Amino acid sequence: MKRDWLILIALTGWALALPHYGSDFAVSLALSCLMYAALASSWSLFCGATRYLSLATSAFFGIGAYTSALSLEHVPFAVAIALGAGVAALVALVMGAAVLHLRGTYFAVLTFGMTELIRHAISYWEKKVSGTVGRVLTVVPERDTVYLAVLALAVLALATAIVVRRSRFGLALAGIGADEQRAQTLGVDTRRVKTAGFALTAAFAGAVGAAMSVRWTYIDPVTVFNPFIGFQTVLIALIGGAATLWGPVVAALVFSLLAETLRLQLPQLYMMALGLLLILCVLYLPGGLASLRLPRRRGAAR
Amino acid sequence: MNGHPLLEARSLTVRFGGLVAVDAVSAAFAPAELVGIIGPNGAGKTTFFNALSGVQAATGGALFAQGQCLTGAPAHRYARHGIARSFQTPRVFGELSVAANVGFGLQFAGRGRPASALLKDETSILQLIGLPAQATLPAAAVTPSQQRLLEIGMALATRPKLLLLDEVAAGLTEAEVEAMAQLIRRLRDELDLTVIWIEHAVTTLLRHVERVLVLHQGRKIADGTPSEVVRNPEVVEAYLGDEMADE
Repeated sequence: MKRDWLILIALTGWALALPHYGSDFAVSLALSCLMYAALASSWSLFCGATRYLSLATSAFFGIGAYTSALSLEHVPFAVAIALGAGVAALVALVMGAAVLHLRGTYFAVLTFGMTELIRHAISYWEKKVSGTVGRVLTVVPERDTVYLAVLALAVLALATAIVVRRSRFGLALAGIGADEQRAQTLGVDTRRVKTAGFALTAAFAGAVGAAMSVRWTYIDPVTVFNPFIGFQTVLIALIGGAATLWGPVVAALVFSLLAETLRLQLPQLYMMALGLLLILCVLYLPGGLASLRLPRRRGAAR
Repeated sequence: MNGHPLLEARSLTVRFGGLVAVDAVSAAFAPAELVGIIGPNGAGKTTFFNALSGVQAATGGALFAQGQCLTGAPAHRYARHGIARSFQTPRVFGELSVAANVGFGLQFAGRGRPASALLKDETSILQLIGLPAQATLPAAAVTPSQQRLLEIGMALATRPKLLLLDEVAAGLTEAEVEAMAQLIRRLRDELDLTVIWIEHAVTTLLRHVERVLVLHQGRKIADGTPSEVVRNPEVVEAYLGDEMADE
């Protein structure tokens, strides 16, 4: 655990220094890497431990982005991020009450369905009620402010993951993942634990969405509720190793590099590389990239 | 104990569509009783257990723990009221160590509940069930009979008042069955635990319990001491006759 904190501090220092010497390109690459590190780590915190595969990340991301777009003219950036996290968590509480008693494919499909429902509801509201097709963000913070905000969220997500893994809450989540009914007969209030975990994941996705929305200066439902954000988060977490702490971070780094180098020249190749990596991981590395060096961890895990 | 039984089922019924698995069973269990439940395959024993531990919601009737109504409550509330259970096929957390499996219950239902010295912590519980040497092994790596003991250890970690044991002696050797029976007696004698024990091997069970419930096609057809029950004509006809002849 101490080692985890040291790694986190070292990585944070490196990321903090980057804007001072890196090019614009390097900073934008790092930003996308940090965004996916935050999304995938917070996703794994709940979904990796409990094995509830949620595809709702893009819903929470979009809700956060919209919340921040609507509130940024009235409140400071930090407050807009907190609001984004809060609204996303609230939506997750409602959504969780409806779908968290389902498992496996049913849960995954329903979370995806609800994401689409939210996206279409907001599109409809934009068209019919407010009469707009999107939002132009007039007040936007500087590049470095956005970078620092997303960095702070990624660090917070990892710090939360480190703390949760050692807590009763984390043990309850792991118990639910291993055998939900057994955990319940041993006294875990599974409903409450799952709802809290789902809301925590959603809060991070909402906060990241709120922080990232200002990068686009113009947002509409198609951009911020893009299901690809949700899929990519899940892929990164699974390929990295959703049960581990650092797997998702490593995978986020690999993906951002792949995305930036391949997507511009050969977009199809990027998607194919993604798909191929996922298939290989599911077939040969069910524990993710992190399991390549796991033998040592197993004993230390508890 | 404010005059209420530790656990009381009133006309408890569990229906799966058209099948009545448990049919209006009423029974009360007092502190420190050692009760066996027998019945042919499909008599509804395990379903009755599932209903008693909140794992399966009853479709009719009511359940009271020390006078408090628990009907329809989620399973964790049963655990917090001191009702613990084992599962027929051991459901241990395979990736966690044996000690951590026991620790799980201590962290949740057992947390803050009054505990005797025997149930103080992981070490004392492992000592009690006889697995101190396996403490650091992953639970998936110990033998099936050790996993059965661990199941009991996990249940004990919730610091229960009542323990539901579902076929804990199935598949064990003669000597292991005897040791298991000794352990169960010890739990009752030293922890004042009420134990309700389902076992398919009737003769083994009848040797060790003080009271037997007989289920047949979901109904309770007898409830008494082992010697009373084996002389009950309905029981002999429904079950014991051919079963005893087999053994």
